[in-house]
Order: sequence, then structure tokens, then C-alpha cells
Amino acid sequence: MKIVVEDVEVWYNSVKALDRVTLSISSGELAFVIGPNGAGKTTLLKTIASVVKPRKGVVYIDGKAVSSLSPKDISRLLSYVDPHISRSIPSTVLEFLLTARYPHQNMLSFSISTKDLEIVEKVSRQLNIKQFLDRRLDQLSSGELQRVLIARALIQEPKVMLLDEPSAFLDLRYRLEVLDYIKSVVKRDNIVAIVAIHDIYLASLYADKIIVMNGGSVVACGAPEEVLKKDILEKVYGVKIAIANVDGRKIVIPLEPLEKGVQI
Amino acid sequence: MALELYKRKVKHFLISLFTLIVLSMAITIASLSIGPSMLDPKEIFKTVFLSPFGMATSDSSVRLVAMLRVSRTVASFFCGVALSIAGILMQTTTRNPLADPYIFGLSSTALTAISLTIILSPSTAVYRYNLVVVAFIGALLGYFMTMMLAKLAGGGSLALVLAGIAVASLFSGVSHVLLYIVQRVIGTPIVYFLMGSTNTVLYRDIAFIAYPTIALLIFSIALFKPLNAYLYGDDYAKQLGFNPKLISLISTGIASLLTAITIAFIGIVGFVGLAAPHIARFFVGSDHRFSIPITALVGGILTTFADIVVRLVSMYSGAVGELPLGVVTSIIGAPFLAYLIAKRMRQ
Repeated sequence: MKIVVEDVEVWYNSVKALDRVTLSISSGELAFVIGPNGAGKTTLLKTIASVVKPRKGVVYIDGKAVSSLSPKDISRLLSYVDPHISRSIPSTVLEFLLTARYPHQNMLSFSISTKDLEIVEKVSRQLNIKQFLDRRLDQLSSGELQRVLIARALIQEPKVMLLDEPSAFLDLRYRLEVLDYIKSVVKRDNIVAIVAIHDIYLASLYADKIIVMNGGSVVACGAPEEVLKKDILEKVYGVKIAIANVDGRKIVIPLEPLEKGVQI
Repeated sequence: MALELYKRKVKHFLISLFTLIVLSMAITIASLSIGPSMLDPKEIFKTVFLSPFGMATSDSSVRLVAMLRVSRTVASFFCGVALSIAGILMQTTTRNPLADPYIFGLSSTALTAISLTIILSPSTAVYRYNLVVVAFIGALLGYFMTMMLAKLAGGGSLALVLAGIAVASLFSGVSHVLLYIVQRVIGTPIVYFLMGSTNTVLYRDIAFIAYPTIALLIFSIALFKPLNAYLYGDDYAKQLGFNPKLISLISTGIASLLTAITIAFIGIVGFVGLAAPHIARFFVGSDHRFSIPITALVGGILTTFADIVVRLVSMYSGAVGELPLGVVTSIIGAPFLAYLIAKRMRQ
């Protein structure tokens, strides 16, 4: 299976958000999208998830254009972790997680199968959210909620998983644990995961492929060692960068802005 | 863990369902027995529930008096069912725990539509089910007016409530004026519509209240999956393959139709649609497959109870005529609004 984004252009009213983006990601790959604010990372994910419709270009999943699939097919194929969910009507974590199985169920089937509950059980154990399955969503801390949202995407058992800033709000341990688990799922189930992230270090740790974006277009795309280069990152972020070597790992360290944008 | 939790939830649901069904039967018997001429609840129980086994009471006066109270009992129960389902659907589609047909102005605009229609063509009022259509259009208009006003005010959840209160106040004033004119046109007091009354419901009307309400209840339960998904946001519902605009449109339609039914036959009964869903969620959570049936029963029981209180007050105060039904439901339901507002503002 393969995701191919071909010459995609997305506009929000009169603002161009994605400009002729072309890339491809194969199954078993964990790809990270990095870039400064407003680079189009979220828009790229939303376009692949078919939440945003491109004005030009096509997204192919497994050789089929996403625009030709029914919403139900898309929901079985792909899950997009939206960091914003509504929590104004009180509901529990379990109630929320169970909705993720709907794409695989008949619309009117009233009972929930044991298999569905076992999947919820397994994922919530892995992400260490088992102990608050019966807590209300609005009573969770941001880090706990983040893990619940990621758990939801995994419970949906998609072929393609799209995550927007999954490491935000997580502490050091969970940043590593969550991404580690996502990577293991990608390898085990041979799926595709695309993660938009700000933390370049985390990306360098887990990425099979890194996509660098700026101003709505792809600046560089490839294996971490090909992409995480001083000249590319300095140009994209406008930040002076040093690459340090710790235990044989290349670590990107931002030093200072190239131009002082903020005058004091 | 997940399995045990789910089993416990199903158990809670079944216990609540069973308890509420028993309570509904009890309140039905109470409603049939209580009134100016008190009947023996045991005889009523036999007549209503055991007559297929040949246990019906032989006392014909009991049967006769009970018959007179059947229409108001059925009407008040299903009025409660209709309003509470309308309430839970509106709370889900607006994702606002303060939503209710009365607070959001649907009831008042529906009543305004009815009174205008009676003034323009008095004969439509002879068969009340004609009025359901008019009330439905009125309720839909009221809902969209509230939504538009809330959008102008920034679209927050409290903006929605305040917009609803503005629409409700305006149109309850307008309908009040119109109903005075209606009295002159058709020569009978019809102001009881303003706060609801089951006193004027005819036996021939109850089929028009009960069957559509049951049908819409079943239809709403069948929508539990889209509704559950909708709870967490438009994008989230889309994610799971549902069309959020369609869900919202269908539920708004059902809620408006249910409100219209109660307005056309009984009048404005406030706060049941607000309180019942919260009580139901407290017992079975927010999964609609459980919360809709429980909400319906709670709403039915609350309103029938209110209707009994109406009769008791008029019997023991010795006053002429009856209290309106909406007064009692307001006293039961408005504290809920106060509590919810206090809780929400503090967040």
C-alpha cells in the first residue's frame, strides 16, 4: 500500500495553503512532517484525510483517489487525530473510545462485540490510560487527553494514521513511549503513519522519512540523515543551527534567530 | 477493564430501564385515580393491566371516571416523552447542555404560528392535528432565528442561550397578544396554551400525540451512532464517515416536530426537555443508545407527576379552574437551569 500526493494545491478562500505538493509514502513507514508555523503541516494532513478538499491535484491511497471513496470507506481506511474535540456534553473516556469502532460496525447493531472491547482494552493498556476509562473527558489533564486521542486513532485500526502534534502536552516519558508505540504499530501492522510535529529531535529519533515544509510547499523529503542538514533547516526556520553528535546520533540544536524579528 | 466497565454500564441501563418502567406504570395508575373523585388504585391496576386476564373491575363508575382521565394521562406522559427527546437531540446537536425547546424559543414561535393561523382561519383549530404542521414550521423558524442571533453574538454556548431567551421572550409576548385576539375570534378561553394544560385534550387526540411520538422515539434511538459521533465535534463525526450537517438537520427536524406536537395539543410546557436528559445521563452516561430511552421515560414520568400536582393543588386550594401544567414543570426544572449555569460559568 502506498500514499501518493500528486501536485496538490489547497486554498482557504484567497490564501494558498498548499502549493504543488507532491510526495509518496509506503506502508510500514513512519513519516514526520516538520516546518515552521503556517508551513501547511496541518493542511497537508487534513487534505490526505479528505477533511479539506484540494483545488488541484489528487491524493491516492492504495492507487485509489481519496475523492472517489465514500466517507464510510475513508473512515475504515484512515484516522486523523484532531487535537480539538468538543467536550461540552459530559461523556466518559470509554464512551469516546468505543465510537472509534463505528466504521467497522453496522450502523444499527445495538450491542458491542467482545472483540471491539478487547481492542479498546489492549490499546488503553499500551498507552496507560486504562485507569481512567470511566473518567469524564473534561476531567482529564491535557497530557491524559492527548493519550486518549491517540488511543482513539489506534482503536479505529486504520491503514493510514495521521497525527497532528501528538507530543504536545506530553511529558518526556510519554513523548518517547507514545511515539515508540506508534512506530511499533506501524511496523507490526504494516500501516502508514504521518505525524506533524515541532520537535525535530523526536522526529529524528523515530522517522523513516522526514518531510520539511515551508510556505505551503515541500522543501525537502527523505531519510532523516538526508534532510536534517544545517543549510536546509537554517533556511526554513530562520534560526542558526548546530548539529551535535551524541552517542553517534545527530542532534539538531537551535542556537539563535538569524535575524532578530522582535525588536526590544 | 473495558469489558467489565461496559458490562456494568449495560447493567445500570437495564436496572434504570426496569425501575423507570415500573415507575411509569405506578404514575399512570396514580394519574388515573387522583382527581376530584378519588378511585381505588387497586381497581385501576386491575382494569388497566390485568383486564386481558379477565380481572377487570366490575364497578362501572370506576371505569367511567378512569376513562375520563385516560386522555389527560396519556397526553401528559407523551408530552413529557416528546419534550425530553427534543431536549436531548437539541443538546447534542448544539453541543450545549442548556438546550431545551422552551429556552431556545422553539415553543414560543410554534405557539405564535398557531395563534396566527387560528386568527386567519379559525376552522383549522377544530382538529388540533392540523395545527401540528403550522407549529412545526413555527418551531423550525424559531430554531433558525436563535441560531442566527447566536452566530451574530459570536457563537459561544452562552450566546446561544441568551439568543434563545431573547427569541423566547419576544414570541411569548407576541403569542400572548395574539391569543387574546383568538379568544374573541373563537369565543373560548385558549390562553391556557401559554403555560400548557392537559385539561382540554380530547380522547380522539391522544392517538395523534402518542403514535408519532413513539415513532420519532424509535427513529431517534436508531440514530444513536451518528449522534454519539457528533457529540465530539463536526470534524470528528466526519472522520467516522458521518455527515455532520445531515445529522444536525435531521435531529433539528425531529426535535421541532416533537415540540410542535406538544404545542398543538397541550401548549408550552417548559424545562422538561432540559432536566430529563441530565437526569438520564447521570444514571446511564451519554451514550445515546442508553440515554435516549431513559430520557424519554424520565420526561414522561416528570410531566405526568406535574399533571397530578396540578390537580391536587386545584382540589385542595379550592380555587376555580386548574393551574397550568407549565407552571409546575418550571418549578421542577428551572432549578436545573440555575445549577447548570452556575456550573458552566465557573469553568
